[in-house]
Amino acid sequence: MKGITKAIMRTPHLMTSKVGMSKKSTDPEFDEYQRNFTTIEGATDKFLKDTKAFTEAVNSLFTSGSSFATHFNTLFHPIASEYDLLGKFPDAAHTIKNVDAYQSALEDLRTTVAPELELIESRVVGPIKELQVVMKAIRKMITKRDHKLVDYDRFNNSLTKLREKKEKSLSDEKNLFKLEQDFEIASNDYDNLNNSMKQDLPRFMLLATRFIDPLFHSFFYMQLNIFYMLLEKINQFSDGKYEVSVPAAQIGEDFIAKRGESAAVVDALSIVQRFISTSKLVSQGRTLSPASSTLGRSPSSVSTSTSTSAAPPPAPPSTFSRSLPPAAPPAAGASAVSEKASYTPPPPNPASPPPYSAGAAAAAAAAAKRAPPPPPPLKPKPAAAPAVHYVTALYDFVPQADGDLEFKTGDRIELVERTNSEEDWWTGKLNGKQGIFPGNYVQEN
Amino acid sequence: MSWSGFKKSMNRAGTTLLQKTGQIERTVDQDFTTEESKYKTFEKECAALQKDGKAYLDAMRAMSSAQLRLAETIDTFYGASDRSSDGAMAAHAYKRSVEELDSGISRELDAPYRTAILDPLGKMNAYFPIINEHISKRNKKLLDYDAARSKVRKMTEKPSEDPGRLPKAQQEHDEAKEIFELLNDQLVREIPVLLEQRVPYFDPSFEAMIRMQCKFAEEGYEKLSGVQRYFDDKVRDDYAAGQLDAQVEGVLQEMRELSICSAA
Repeated sequence: MKGITKAIMRTPHLMTSKVGMSKKSTDPEFDEYQRNFTTIEGATDKFLKDTKAFTEAVNSLFTSGSSFATHFNTLFHPIASEYDLLGKFPDAAHTIKNVDAYQSALEDLRTTVAPELELIESRVVGPIKELQVVMKAIRKMITKRDHKLVDYDRFNNSLTKLREKKEKSLSDEKNLFKLEQDFEIASNDYDNLNNSMKQDLPRFMLLATRFIDPLFHSFFYMQLNIFYMLLEKINQFSDGKYEVSVPAAQIGEDFIAKRGESAAVVDALSIVQRFISTSKLVSQGRTLSPASSTLGRSPSSVSTSTSTSAAPPPAPPSTFSRSLPPAAPPAAGASAVSEKASYTPPPPNPASPPPYSAGAAAAAAAAAKRAPPPPPPLKPKPAAAPAVHYVTALYDFVPQADGDLEFKTGDRIELVERTNSEEDWWTGKLNGKQGIFPGNYVQEN
Repeated sequence: MSWSGFKKSMNRAGTTLLQKTGQIERTVDQDFTTEESKYKTFEKECAALQKDGKAYLDAMRAMSSAQLRLAETIDTFYGASDRSSDGAMAAHAYKRSVEELDSGISRELDAPYRTAILDPLGKMNAYFPIINEHISKRNKKLLDYDAARSKVRKMTEKPSEDPGRLPKAQQEHDEAKEIFELLNDQLVREIPVLLEQRVPYFDPSFEAMIRMQCKFAEEGYEKLSGVQRYFDDKVRDDYAAGQLDAQVEGVLQEMRELSICSAA
């Protein structure tokens, strides 16, 4: 409460002195000391912050080093069902044999550095925090001194004003007496504080230097020790196994020299290539390994995405007893087709040669795609059952010649004789009549 | 997402649901599962290794740069009162050594560290998203295949009115099967190759790592130990005996006794 009253009393003076209406005293000697003090104050905060940064960096160095070793170790051990890495990669034997020792060495390091870090915490960070406490107290005194200076100036100004006043009223005379008393008190307070500041601040600066001396030395040895531990451990590990005393530039060069083919091998894998469209992949897969396409079907008429894909041309039926079925493409055996072509119903199956070979063929394929109806080819099934066999008509078939069997979509036809190829004419029975029909017009049940 | 992509994902979501409820049979490829789990381990290890490798380099740099800032601060302390004392000289020598260390690390170790540790790791880790894409593609195609197969089976068991639908389903099934097998075979064939290559791939990094760790420690130790010349002979023993801490405490006590400190 007292503080607030004081602050309110000082406010008018602070305002007027700011705008230059009233006089403000300065003490250059004190100002100089105060500047130095502020510098040290800033330095202390910074010191604390950087010490923490250093501790964290050391901690991170040892932790990540140990963690790196652990994961590296895992990579050089069999994953899951793998076996005998040593036998498979004799070149890497040196590494494979040493990863375990490396891991334990770095793990050791990580544990041994912990007490060092605690040392920094207690012997360096601790005292700096103490110093901060001391400096806070001094800062408080400086603020107090500043307040007393304000009081001093304030009473001084009022007193001068009142003295210069020509005609003084009764209350002025009373005030003058009171002000003289106040001024004396303020002036004493200020002088006391200011003098002790001027006396003690230089001493504090000296003490600060004496403070930093042993602190710096301790901290230095702690840092040195950290490097020493690291060096000793690595040397101990690599002694006789790894040549470590090489110039830094050679490390990179040696690495490049020792880097084998594996990067290229990995890079050549197709699973590390960006994904291309599935259809492209499929067509690539067919070109590369036609055998992998285990589906015994003629891929030529696959309706959409793979219509342009490559495939071996289907072998024409070897035993042609008569002309090709209506489905026969115009390209194959043109003369044979021509006689039928005139009255051929919609060609059910283009059975075109691989469309990728020529533009004409592609056009044929495209034309075929439009042609209705597009019956998909079927998987040939082993015609093992000797019993009566039925097929279902997929399309209407209008007889084109004598002996052709007429049927409508959905009719069940008793199969009498069939060939291996659907592109051929088959024999069947329907409603008591026997005749031949194109094999690709029906579906086997 | 495109419309067709959206349709596909909806269909696949449906298939997954039906598989969960046991209405569609799920294909399990034991070879692939084994390879995939090994691959996942590998991926995880590589990611961890990259993280640690990066952290290690960052820590080396952070260490020396923190030391540099500390050296500057210590210099400030001496600057406030006297610049010519033994302590100030030592602090100055310390600052010079740390400057050399800091610039030396970034000059000499940065490049080889990148070449030998970070680059190979980064490259390997860059492959994983692509491989994962292949795997997820394979999984999607597997769903398609499962769905198509179940469709064919249902139609065979209960032929539909339209006789054209079975062959169509059959064809879809064949296509789905082909695509899935293509992708699956590729993964089952190549993942083991990738995993095996890790040994020769990372082998040279090991030696380089050890050498660089050694180099860092060596540089740090050599640069710093040179500063000791500027110290008083007894400083080292004092440190060992814990005398320095007592000195620090003593000075702090003196500070507290200053009149400007104690007066409230």
